[in-house]
Amino acid sequence: MTGDEPRISAFGDGAVLVELGDEVGIRLARRARLLAGAVEELRAAGTPFGPPVPGAASVLVPFDPLDLTPGQARTLLMPLVGSVPRDPGAEPAATEHPIPVSYGGADGPDLEPVARELGLDPAEVVAIHSGTAYEVLFLGFAPGFAYLGELPERIVVPRLATPRTHVAAGSVAIAGRFSGIYPQRSAGGWRLIGRTDVPLFDPASEPPERFRPGDRVRFVPR
Amino acid sequence: MSAELNAPREPVREPVLEVVDAGLLTTIQDLGRPGLAALGVAPGGAADPLALAVANRVLGNARDAAALELTIAGPTLRILATTTIALAGADLAARVVETGERLAPGSALVVRAGWMLAFAGPPTRGIRAYLAVPGGFLVDDVLGSSATALGAGFGGLGGRALRAGDRLSSRRAGVVAPARWPGPVQPDSHSIRILPGPHAARIGEAALANLVAGTWTVSPASDRVGLRLEGGALPGTATGELASHGVTWGAIQVPPDGHPIVLLVDHQPTGGYPVVAVAITADRPRLGQLGPGSPIRFELVDGEAARAALLDQREQFAAAERHLAELAGWDELWESTTG
Repeated sequence: MTGDEPRISAFGDGAVLVELGDEVGIRLARRARLLAGAVEELRAAGTPFGPPVPGAASVLVPFDPLDLTPGQARTLLMPLVGSVPRDPGAEPAATEHPIPVSYGGADGPDLEPVARELGLDPAEVVAIHSGTAYEVLFLGFAPGFAYLGELPERIVVPRLATPRTHVAAGSVAIAGRFSGIYPQRSAGGWRLIGRTDVPLFDPASEPPERFRPGDRVRFVPR
Repeated sequence: MSAELNAPREPVREPVLEVVDAGLLTTIQDLGRPGLAALGVAPGGAADPLALAVANRVLGNARDAAALELTIAGPTLRILATTTIALAGADLAARVVETGERLAPGSALVVRAGWMLAFAGPPTRGIRAYLAVPGGFLVDDVLGSSATALGAGFGGLGGRALRAGDRLSSRRAGVVAPARWPGPVQPDSHSIRILPGPHAARIGEAALANLVAGTWTVSPASDRVGLRLEGGALPGTATGELASHGVTWGAIQVPPDGHPIVLLVDHQPTGGYPVVAVAITADRPRLGQLGPGSPIRFELVDGEAARAALLDQREQFAAAERHLAELAGWDELWESTTG
């Protein structure tokens, strides 16, 4: 296992970025999630941080520049980084989300091109994609968009060279080591292999997001 | 997605204005929903939050009351109920059609039912203006804010820009004695003070040096999400994309083609491009006043200068608020709407 080299850098005058390492995958995403949880505990105890933003292998910690300097934030966060387990396990009480997906055809216009690129049948791509339980690593890009990992190596493909300007809401997509579902219509560069009707974000609900980091997602072909 | 959420609610009061022509991009904004990045929600709100606060305070509103953000070409509005409106930010050349009376940023005017308010343009001293009414506009809060999240399609008036035929109500009926903001009207400086970003060392010194030395122009492919800059490609180690990480308003990213992107208020909460620099918090309002064709330059400062600039900005604002309260003779009303 490579050594983790955490870096804490100023991100402007109102935030610091804690980077946990370069190897993108479940391990560092879990560390990021746990670190964000530790930051939330500090906040609850009165430290003037804003809500932390976990990423693939990092946590952005914002604050009011008149409450803290980046140097002070760094001093508060260093011991927290040290306290997060190096190889955390899965979330024990995680919510499981079965997500029915209509694969291919108009719902998944990239399924066939992806299959061809990989030298597989479309049906094999579907079997591999739906045969794995994914972990919700972090949310970003759009309200309710969850980065799911890790995609089995056999179906790893890069993003589109030119992103689409319109991706249908509910599109199930893959790119690099991640899978994801576009919650609303948006632009997007990931490969679209299917669609689901399950709503992922409703601002009127509490909580508004369906997927939370640490949850598990399994795609179910319809 | 619930259909009721996006349909405008029946106004409690008679509407105060009607949109005759929507202008280029007119949206309901307040100070946004900044704490929801971990859900994938952009902070949103006014691209020039200082100007929105000024327009509100001139009427004695809370700083973050819902107001209209006008962009470059302002709307044409028919006043439906006599009220007071206030403007701040860029000067879009507002005038009352019936009387020819002009309304300068930082001031307020009583407008009578039946009058039309138009914006002749062209914009000067920036590209965005803010129009406030007593108590703020009456819209449902979504995720704690009245701001319009255009990309996501919620908030404000049904998650969209205003269009002809829309009618809006104010939370307080009647007029407020017109006042004038006694502080400096927002100068539109094209110089943005920056701090080195978390990836500056990784990209290489030349990139930051070029950013500061360069003469940049805001490209037409710019909006509330971010400013794309024309003026050259930044040199640097081809770091490609990094692991997706949280980013903030004011972050300056270097995509593979080297043309810098400055994130604005509707930025995606996470990004993968290396961040070479970050604008200081005090200069976010300046960024919000830059649009296609605007020149933009960067000045490297340190943390102390950033902090001093923000402190100064907030103290100036608070001093102007106190002065206005004295001049306008507002006491309890003012106190009840402070916040």
